Amino acid sequence: MTLKLDKVSLFRYTDTLLSLDEVIKPGEVLSIMGPSGSGKSTLLNTIAGQLTAPFSMTGSIYINDKCINDMPAHKRGVGVLYQDPLLFEHMTVGQNIAFALPSSALNKAQREQRVSEMLAEVGLSDLQHRPVQTLSGGQQARIALLRTLAAAPSVVLLDEPFSKLDATTKTQMRTWVFGQLKVRGLPTLLVTHDNDDVEAAQGHLIEIETC
Amino acid sequence: MSVLISVHSRTQWLRNMTLFQRITLSVRALLILLLSLPVLAGLVGVVLPAFGYFPALDAHNFTFDVFGRLFAIDGMGKMMLLSFFTGLIATLLSVASAFLLLAVFYHSSYLNKIQTWLSPLLVLPHAAAAIALLFVLSPSGFFSSIVTNVSNILSSIGVSDAISVDGASTLLPPTWAFPYDSYGISIIIALALKELPFVFLMAVSVMSQPQIKRKFDGYFKSATALGYSPVTVFFKAIFPIVYPQVRLPLLAVLAYATANVEIPLLSGPNNPPTLAVAVVQWFNHVDLSMRFQASSAALLQVAVTLVAISVWIVGEKVAKHAQARFYSNGHRHTGQTLSAIVAYAIVAIYTLLILSIIISTLLWSFATFWQFPAFLPEGLTLLHWQTTLAALAEPFNNTVLLAVLVSGFSVIVATLALEAESLNGNSGNIGGNRHKSKPSSYFNGWAGALLSVTLFLPLLVPGVAFLYGLVWFQLAYFNEAVWFHLFISHLVYVLPYVFISLAVAYRKFDPRYIQVAYGMGKTPWQVFVKIKLPLLFAPMLVAFALGLAISFSQYLPTLLSTGGRIATVTTEAVAAASGSSARLTAVYVIVQTLMPLLGFILAWWLPTICFNPMGRYTLLQTRKSKL
Repeated sequence: MTLKLDKVSLFRYTDTLLSLDEVIKPGEVLSIMGPSGSGKSTLLNTIAGQLTAPFSMTGSIYINDKCINDMPAHKRGVGVLYQDPLLFEHMTVGQNIAFALPSSALNKAQREQRVSEMLAEVGLSDLQHRPVQTLSGGQQARIALLRTLAAAPSVVLLDEPFSKLDATTKTQMRTWVFGQLKVRGLPTLLVTHDNDDVEAAQGHLIEIETC
Repeated sequence: MSVLISVHSRTQWLRNMTLFQRITLSVRALLILLLSLPVLAGLVGVVLPAFGYFPALDAHNFTFDVFGRLFAIDGMGKMMLLSFFTGLIATLLSVASAFLLLAVFYHSSYLNKIQTWLSPLLVLPHAAAAIALLFVLSPSGFFSSIVTNVSNILSSIGVSDAISVDGASTLLPPTWAFPYDSYGISIIIALALKELPFVFLMAVSVMSQPQIKRKFDGYFKSATALGYSPVTVFFKAIFPIVYPQVRLPLLAVLAYATANVEIPLLSGPNNPPTLAVAVVQWFNHVDLSMRFQASSAALLQVAVTLVAISVWIVGEKVAKHAQARFYSNGHRHTGQTLSAIVAYAIVAIYTLLILSIIISTLLWSFATFWQFPAFLPEGLTLLHWQTTLAALAEPFNNTVLLAVLVSGFSVIVATLALEAESLNGNSGNIGGNRHKSKPSSYFNGWAGALLSVTLFLPLLVPGVAFLYGLVWFQLAYFNEAVWFHLFISHLVYVLPYVFISLAVAYRKFDPRYIQVAYGMGKTPWQVFVKIKLPLLFAPMLVAFALGLAISFSQYLPTLLSTGGRIATVTTEAVAAASGSSARLTAVYVIVQTLMPLLGFILAWWLPTICFNPMGRYTLLQTRKSKL
C-alpha cells in the first residue's frame, strides 16, 4: 500500500499554502511540521476527502496507484487519528471497534470474536464492555488506534495524535502506535509540532516555511 | 482558472452524492416550500378581497373603495395606534430588561438560576399567561386582596385612615384599570412579561456557544484588567456581538407583539380593541360582507407591523451612530449601580409574580367559595378538576395527537434539512452572522440565505394577515380535509422553532466524528443513523418538546383552520376565560402549563436511559456498591 502526492498544491482562495511531491511507501511515516495556518490540517482534509472552500487543490493524490481526487470521503479508506480520541459515547469500547470492522465477510459471532482478539492482543480485554467515558486518557487513545486499524484502512493520517497525553503515556503511545502501523505496512502521514514525534516516527521530515 | 476549478468541483460534488445526500437536499427544498407556500397563498387570499375581488360573494371588480370605507370607521386610528404602540413598547421593555439582566448577571452564578426560573414561562402559552395575570392583577385579584387586607389592618390599628364603607366587612375592590384599560397598558405588561424570557434565553443560548463563550471570557478578562466594571464590559464589548445574532428573532418578537390576538383579547380594551383583535372579530362576523373590511384591515395590520419593524431598524441605526463615542469615551463604570438596581427589581417582580400566579391559580382550581377580599377560599374541592377533565378528554386527545404529528414531522424535516447543510461545511446561518462563505457551495450559499428568510417568514408576517387567506384557499379547494389544514397551519409555526432549536446543536457537532466514521468506510447514511442521530438524541428531543409546546399554545391557527370544528385545550381555555367561572379557567391554565412541561421532562429523562452506556454503567456500579 502506498500514498502518492503527485505535484499537489493547496490554495486558500488564490494564495498557495504548500506544494508537495511525495511518495509514502508501506510502513513509512512522512512527518510534516510547520506553524499554525501553514496548511497542515488542510492537507489532511484534502487526503481524507473533506476539502472545503475557500481551500482548493491542484495535482493528484493516489492510493495504491488509484487516483482518489474525485472519490467521496467514505470510499477512500483513509483512517484519521486526531489529538482527541473521539470515541463514540453512545457505544461501549467493544461496540466502537465492532462498528469499525468492515461489514462484509464476518458474521455476528465472528465480529464479536475479532473484537475480543484485537483487545486481547494489546492486553485490554477487560475494557470490552466498559462505557468509553470510564477509560483513562491513555486507554482511550489506544482504543482509538485499535478502532482505526479495525477498519483496515489503506492509509493512516495522524493529526497531532499525542499532543494531549501526559509525558509518560506519550512516550509509550508513540512507540506502540508507530510499531502497530509498521507491522501492518500502512503508509502514514504525521502532522505535528513535536520534534520527539518526528524522531519516534523515524521517517522523512518536511518543514513548511511561512511564506 | 479558479472559476473553472470551482465549476468542475461543483459538478463533481453533485455527481458524487449518495442517494441519501440527494434526499436531504430535496427535503431542504421541501422545507422552504412548506413554509413559504402557505404564507404566500394566504397573503394572496387576503389581498384579493381587500381590493374588492371576492368571487364567492359575487364581487369581481378591483377597487380601492374597501380601504376608503375602512378608514371611515370610527376609532380606526386608535386601533392602529394601540397595536403599534403596545407591540413596540412591550418589545422595547422586554429587550431592554432582558439585556439588563444579562449585563448584571452574565458573569455570576445567578445566571443559571434565572435561566431555570424563566424557562417554564417560555413554554407557557400566551393565552395561559394572560389568564394567569388576570388572576393576580385584576381589581379583585390576589394582589388587590393583599393590598386591601393590609390597608384594612393598618387602618384598624390607626396607622392609616383608609376609607371603609360600613366597617371592615364590606371592603370594595379598588378600581384600578387593570385589565381592559383603554391605553393598552395591561397588554404591554402581559406581552413584556411573556416576551422577556424568550429574549433572555435566546441571548443566553447564543452566549453559551463554546467558541463565543471562549471569546467573551477573553474580552472579560482583558477589559477587567483595563479597569472596566463587568456591566460596562457587557455593554461595550459583549452586547455589540450578541445583538446581531439575536436580531432576527427579536424582529419576530416585535412582529408577533404588534399582531398578537390572545393577549389583547383577554386583557386589552374593548372599544376599540387592537387592530388584530378587530380583524378577528370582523372575519368571524356572521355578515359575510364584513370579509372585505376584515381583509383590508388585515393588510393594514401588515403595514402596522412593517412600520413597527422599520421604526425599530431606524432606532438601531441611531443607536449604532451613537455607540462609537460610547465605546471610546473611556468611562469604566457606566450605569453600574442603576443597572444593578433595575435588574434586581426585575428579578424581584418576576419572583413575586410567578409565586403569586402559582399560588392563586392552584387555589382557584380547588376553591369552593372565595369572595373578595378573603386571602383564602372557604374550602377546597376536586369538583372543578373532575368537571374540566371530563370535558377536556376529547380536546386533550386532539391537542396531543396534532402536536405529536406536527412536531414529529418538523423534527424529521429539520434534521434532514440540516444534514443537507453539512454536505459541505456550515452555511445558511440564523441570526445574520454569515460565516465567511465556505462555498464549495455557492449553491449552498444562496440556498442558505433563502432558508433563513423562509424560516422567519411565518414569524414576521402577522398570523391574522395570512391565516384567513389560507383558510379561504383551503375551503375553496379541500373543504373536508380539516385535519390537513390544521396540520399545515400549525406546521408553519412549529417548524421554524424546531429548526432553529435543532440547528444550534447540529452545527456544533464535531465534524471530526464524521471524518472518523468516513475513514472506516461508512456511507453518509450510516454516519447519519448510527453516529449523528444517537449523539444528537438529546437536542432532538428538546426540539421535539419545543415543537409540542408551540403546537399546544396555538390559538388563532387552530380556531381558523378548522372553523371551530376541532377543539384543543387552548381554544377551550380561551373560551372558558371569556365566559364561565374563574375556577374552571384555573384548571385550564394548569393543564396548559403541565402539558408542555411533561414534554420537556421526557426530553430530559429519555437521553439518560437511551443511547447511553454510561448511564447503565453508573446504575450497575451503584447497585453493586449497595450489595
